[in-house]
Amino acid sequence: MGEFEVVGKKVERVDVRAKVTGGALYAADVQMAGMLYGKIVRCYDYAHAKVTGLDLTEAAKCKGVIRVLGPDDVTRKEYNASVLDMMVSTDMRGVLGDIDDQNIFTDHVKHYGDAIAAIIATSEEAAERAAEKVRVSYEELPVYLTAEASKQPDALQFRPEKPGNLAFQLPEMAFPDNCYAWGDVDKSFEDADIIVEDTFYVPKQKQCQMEPGSYIALYDDQGRLNCWTSTQMPKLVQKKLANLFELPMTRVKINQTVIGGGFGARLGMVLEPETCALAMAVPGRPVKLLSTREEDWVTSPSRHPGKYWMRMGFKKDGTPVACDARFENYKGAYYVDASGTAFTTGAWLGGMYKFDSLRYHGESYYTNQSICGAFRGYGNPQTNFVMEQLIDRGCAELGVDPIEWRKKWHKTVGDDGWCMGVPYNSCALDECLDRAAEAIGWAEKREKYKHQTGTVRRGIGVAVMNHTSGAMPMLLEHTVCDVLLHQDATATLNLACSDMGQGSHTTLRQVAAETLGFPYEDIHIATGNSDAAGFDIGAHASRTLYVGGGAVKQACEDARRQLFERAALELEESVDNLYMEDKIIHVKGASNKSISVETITDQGVNNFMNPETGERIGQPGQIQGYASFFPPHNAPPFGTTIAEVEVDTETGEVRVLELVNAHDVGKAIHPGVVEGQLDGGAQQGLGMVLTEETYYDDKGICQNNSFTDYKMFGPSDMPKMTNILVENADPTGPFGAKGVGEAGLVPPVGATANAIFNAIGIQILEAPITPEKVLRAIEEKGDII
Amino acid sequence: MTSRVMRDFDLLLPESVAEVVDLLTRHKNNAAILAGGTDLLIALKFDYAVDNVISLALVPGLAELTFDPEKGLVIGARVTIADILKSPEVRENYPALWQAAKVFATPQLRNTATVLGNVLRASPAGDCSLALLALGGSVLLKNSRGEREVDIDNFWISYGVTARQDDELAMAFKIPPPAAGQKSAFRRMTRTTEDLSKISAAVSLQMGGGTCQTARVAMGCVGPTLVRLPGVEKILEGAEISPEVLQEIVAATAAEINPIDDKRSSAEYRLKVAGVLVKRVIGQALDNGGNN
Repeated sequence: MGEFEVVGKKVERVDVRAKVTGGALYAADVQMAGMLYGKIVRCYDYAHAKVTGLDLTEAAKCKGVIRVLGPDDVTRKEYNASVLDMMVSTDMRGVLGDIDDQNIFTDHVKHYGDAIAAIIATSEEAAERAAEKVRVSYEELPVYLTAEASKQPDALQFRPEKPGNLAFQLPEMAFPDNCYAWGDVDKSFEDADIIVEDTFYVPKQKQCQMEPGSYIALYDDQGRLNCWTSTQMPKLVQKKLANLFELPMTRVKINQTVIGGGFGARLGMVLEPETCALAMAVPGRPVKLLSTREEDWVTSPSRHPGKYWMRMGFKKDGTPVACDARFENYKGAYYVDASGTAFTTGAWLGGMYKFDSLRYHGESYYTNQSICGAFRGYGNPQTNFVMEQLIDRGCAELGVDPIEWRKKWHKTVGDDGWCMGVPYNSCALDECLDRAAEAIGWAEKREKYKHQTGTVRRGIGVAVMNHTSGAMPMLLEHTVCDVLLHQDATATLNLACSDMGQGSHTTLRQVAAETLGFPYEDIHIATGNSDAAGFDIGAHASRTLYVGGGAVKQACEDARRQLFERAALELEESVDNLYMEDKIIHVKGASNKSISVETITDQGVNNFMNPETGERIGQPGQIQGYASFFPPHNAPPFGTTIAEVEVDTETGEVRVLELVNAHDVGKAIHPGVVEGQLDGGAQQGLGMVLTEETYYDDKGICQNNSFTDYKMFGPSDMPKMTNILVENADPTGPFGAKGVGEAGLVPPVGATANAIFNAIGIQILEAPITPEKVLRAIEEKGDII
Repeated sequence: MTSRVMRDFDLLLPESVAEVVDLLTRHKNNAAILAGGTDLLIALKFDYAVDNVISLALVPGLAELTFDPEKGLVIGARVTIADILKSPEVRENYPALWQAAKVFATPQLRNTATVLGNVLRASPAGDCSLALLALGGSVLLKNSRGEREVDIDNFWISYGVTARQDDELAMAFKIPPPAAGQKSAFRRMTRTTEDLSKISAAVSLQMGGGTCQTARVAMGCVGPTLVRLPGVEKILEGAEISPEVLQEIVAATAAEINPIDDKRSSAEYRLKVAGVLVKRVIGQALDNGGNN
């Protein structure tokens, strides 16, 4: 691939000026004439209860109150806030068993913070004061917080169509014996010389995006439902709301506001149904609904927690013969995303190593926890924590170097990818491992740390991962883009792709500039208006640059083709004989024959007739490029992290000293954006493995739905970090690019756990690995090496 | 559950200490004092309700931090944590307090929160408060009848409850001048760097002729209030601080504390690491105050 003009450059990001100066308009900032304010009345006393009485009369009398709404005052149609069901065919939806089981307001509380009723008032204060006057009586029901509890035969059933509270298991029709598998696992284990096995726990991690849920809705005088939201998925939310309120899509408009972080928390609907229901109760008046942080915590999805059992077998020479695994996740109160993560957790497992055989069971059980859904990595961090620790235990028993073993046995080009039957088409993991090992001094440190004494021990550990760029072929991948060339030879991209802060609008603009041959400054990217933009799945699965970029590239190629065809007519040359430089199209080998792009675009719009000849001057018609793009593959990103830690054996405290992340990114369209993704991912990965977990008391009352007692890594907790970008162009990605949105989070999880194993010779089976757990494990073992 | 909306209250803006005292006499427990406000404003969004908030913003003479080698340190009611960090005298003479201020909350909160507010909060997790308990000193209180000083050893009654009467304004905290050979230090453990303490320790040791003459040893998050460890102090006093003595202290510490399980840690863990923390904070004090 030759030199690029815009691709690969650290151009100014489209979003940063507004964000750092405070100019960016988030939904909470939007003010409208006549605006009303909503407040949802939630149940914070129980995690599982029947509503036996709801008295709104006192609330209705409060000053400033416009309406009070109970369950029967809004649509009672059930819905599924997730959009996963819209990414598969109707047939497949039936096979997966996706169901609609949510109500806008409920009379059966299934988790702490479930919605009972709402107030609409003239101010936020008035709405909240009135909400305090709502009287609700409850009949308490037994609380099931784990799969182990809710699967008991005498447990109360969450949904009649999901017996045993088993919301989802891999369906027999697509996955024989309800497992994702190849080979004969039981037989393969007979060949194993070494078997490692354990049951792990992976925590309920929260995205902790900066912006809590903020929405406005207006049911206007044309009968259109307008919703201002920072959703990651405007076009699917448009369709979901259309379905829920039984409106055609032309009567539902999503105005996407600046997204203050997503990480999966805004994948699908969150409080859009509630806000729109409120707005429909007061036609003509905009209604704003703002969540507190504590409320956002329990109403938006988290990562899937649960028990994760795994067993691996190896031959003496290191050959991985079998892997058997079962992930039972604590799904939460509603079905949302029950199928997705239960499958992908096994897909990432299957996509990593060349086991002779593999068998993975993924099951989602209803519990009285808040809902689980998408979170950066979508099952991959859970698998990384378990799989990579067991690989290192196997390596320790085999006496082999963990990096050498991984280089020998990871899957690569031609092997089945995370989706069986779709082989990997590019992989530079070996180079990632070599360069990371070199950068951190792997070999010397592994040797040195074998001989430690004293109370402070150091360790170094590695983990690898495979991921994806878009969810093809499991889920629909499709983005529509059009590019309009203005008369002054600048261009506007029109599409629905979301920028959650990951930099995608910048990189999409770079792809457009490079493809058109225009300067970066000449491109504007127009998003956020669902009336104008064509279809896009939305931001998930590290897809926006790969699929959205593919659409942008194809649309811009279409526009560029039209420019060249017109230039060919004007210059009376064949298209093949033309080239563009500085927005002038030249004839090869004839320096005096050329036409500027601006002449073509101007004549296309301002097309006049020559008064003397009566002929048109130039070629008429404004040029618009268009693409309705379906990617051919999923360009798998691979990556590794090597972590170095220090463990204080007197206190159990773990300090992360250094991380080296080396990722096969295909092509870094904007290296700063890529590094930003890896840095941010590592921060969340370290949090998952060391400090972060949402938890409940026995009654299901959430104990830490705020930053007071949910602890993320802050700037001063972060270690020294080096990012190595391995650019091995993917044959299908735009300019060779792969997705990097999620990859950075994954391997710091396993690498940190393995570094602790290397330091003290103990594996901690439950994440987060807190000092309390480390110290107890050290005491139980009695001796640390 | 928190709220986005604060309780209604009257904000009172007195311009002298006398006016503050007058307002307190009138409103008693139906008034809260606003200095830094970092605890109060959050409480007002939860379930704490008072009708009057008395701001000290316009009251002169309360923002002074003064050190006199003869008289010691006086910390006025509006002195912030950041003011402590800016003071070379505090760093030199009272390392425990300076170290507590250094790790206290976040830069934004340090610029706003006051030292005296931390003492009045009467939390067993107060960092600057713990340093003050180790250093010793008293709270200067004033009401319409006059002034009194309450020794810090007698100031905290129980969780969130102090010896201050409803009509008293806490004017200042006074620390005696450092004795010859006085060394002090503060140390804590947290879940992440920017966090409340899950267990903390501070010491002030008067060293002379290679032995410890007097000792004040204090711990946080091991009981309903910050506590002193008299048994550990007794081991230290008159002793050369040898590895054997430190081992004895590690073993003795757990018997002097009564921690609970809470969201920041467990009783079991606190009992296990308390002695280690005390051992380390003593080492830190002897090592040039640990200001490095």
